[in-house]
Amino acid sequence: MSRLYERISTAIIEGEPEKTAELVQKCLDQGLDPKEILDNAMIVGMGEVGVRFKAGDMFVPEVLMSADSMQAGLVVLRPHLVAGGVKLIGKIVMGTVKGDLHDIGKNLVNMMCEGAGFEMIDIGFNADPEDFIQAIKEHQPDVVGMSAMLTTTMRAMAHTVKAIEEAGLRDRVKIMVGGAPVDAAFAERIGADGYGSNAPAGSDLAKKFVGAA
Amino acid sequence: MLSRLLPEGLAQKATFMDYGLHRVPGKMAASLQEILDGIEEPSVVMLGYGLCGNGLKGLRAGKHILVVPRVDDCIALLLGSRRAYFREFEAVPGTYYLSKGWLESGSHPLKEYEEYVPKYGADQAAWIMDQQYQHYKRLVLVAQSQADLDAYREQALQVARFCERWDMRYEELLGSDGYVQRLVAVASNLEAADSDFLVIPPGGEIHQEQFMR
Repeated sequence: MSRLYERISTAIIEGEPEKTAELVQKCLDQGLDPKEILDNAMIVGMGEVGVRFKAGDMFVPEVLMSADSMQAGLVVLRPHLVAGGVKLIGKIVMGTVKGDLHDIGKNLVNMMCEGAGFEMIDIGFNADPEDFIQAIKEHQPDVVGMSAMLTTTMRAMAHTVKAIEEAGLRDRVKIMVGGAPVDAAFAERIGADGYGSNAPAGSDLAKKFVGAA
Repeated sequence: MLSRLLPEGLAQKATFMDYGLHRVPGKMAASLQEILDGIEEPSVVMLGYGLCGNGLKGLRAGKHILVVPRVDDCIALLLGSRRAYFREFEAVPGTYYLSKGWLESGSHPLKEYEEYVPKYGADQAAWIMDQQYQHYKRLVLVAQSQADLDAYREQALQVARFCERWDMRYEELLGSDGYVQRLVAVASNLEAADSDFLVIPPGGEIHQEQFMR
């Protein structure tokens, strides 16, 4: 059993979508629990991808292919997760902040959070503070996630947190931030509730926020 | 640019780092640290970098004094000022810059694509490129003289033609060597350091928040 999980994790790390999907199906055929396949095989794989990317041992193309593999596995797994009665655990509004049009990281976090059972509201990239505020009012999320790829645009995270405060919405949401230049100290400085060092960490944090960790 | 602006006797003391470090900012500080630690005599060391994706974060001065342009991105050094960098950033956030150095020894989308094709196949390579650059709007060749713009135009246009797949437009910007000149001036007279520079004393360390203003 754990051997299969290991193979899924490896297929994700090596960026092999077909193989990942096939192996996930194989697990399901053997009657393994969908939630366990997700947690103990797929998320483990993406977690390792996050660690290797951060260390500079994996590059963007490889990460993209790993994400694609994770996605392929999720497509197979999702109907079984839903059928297995895995409930939505919360709602997240997610966006890349103003001035920044990098969305690979944001999309990765979306995928991980969706896999973890969140309903995702993606407001895209180059999102104004006002876009975040509108989305909070409209969707009433538990968590707001902000992504930035550049130190230049990290400042927009601070502006966005402030705007949410000024709109009187700060107490209604937990705010998490992430992206290449962001760290825990920065998150604290701008008044966010937490920081995710990679996509799986972001999803873990969101789970913690809604008491599902 | 730097070797031209440095006073006689100093030019041969300049160490030019690998451009590739910009792609792995996590390894930049370690590489620079090694060079710094290898300088025996306590010195004033100029760094031709901005914060560059946190690439300088954690760099320790040791027995030296470090002089650093206080900018997020070393593109500001090519444009001539921090103000010019922000002006361009605000005008078109999704700008990819080409310069003499990047064209000669760095990377750019066309070169990346050509590297990816043998590794991943043409379709996969194109998909990887789309994921990274599809939201970019502008390709800019920046140089400090009209002669350099003329000299690198043909190469830049090759990249521009490739980037048309994302509807990126091509522009040329005549930057200035003003910022680098000031860096050289500050390094020889630390009193001249204004808010555009960081002077890290012996024993000090570079932090992200020193660049935030």
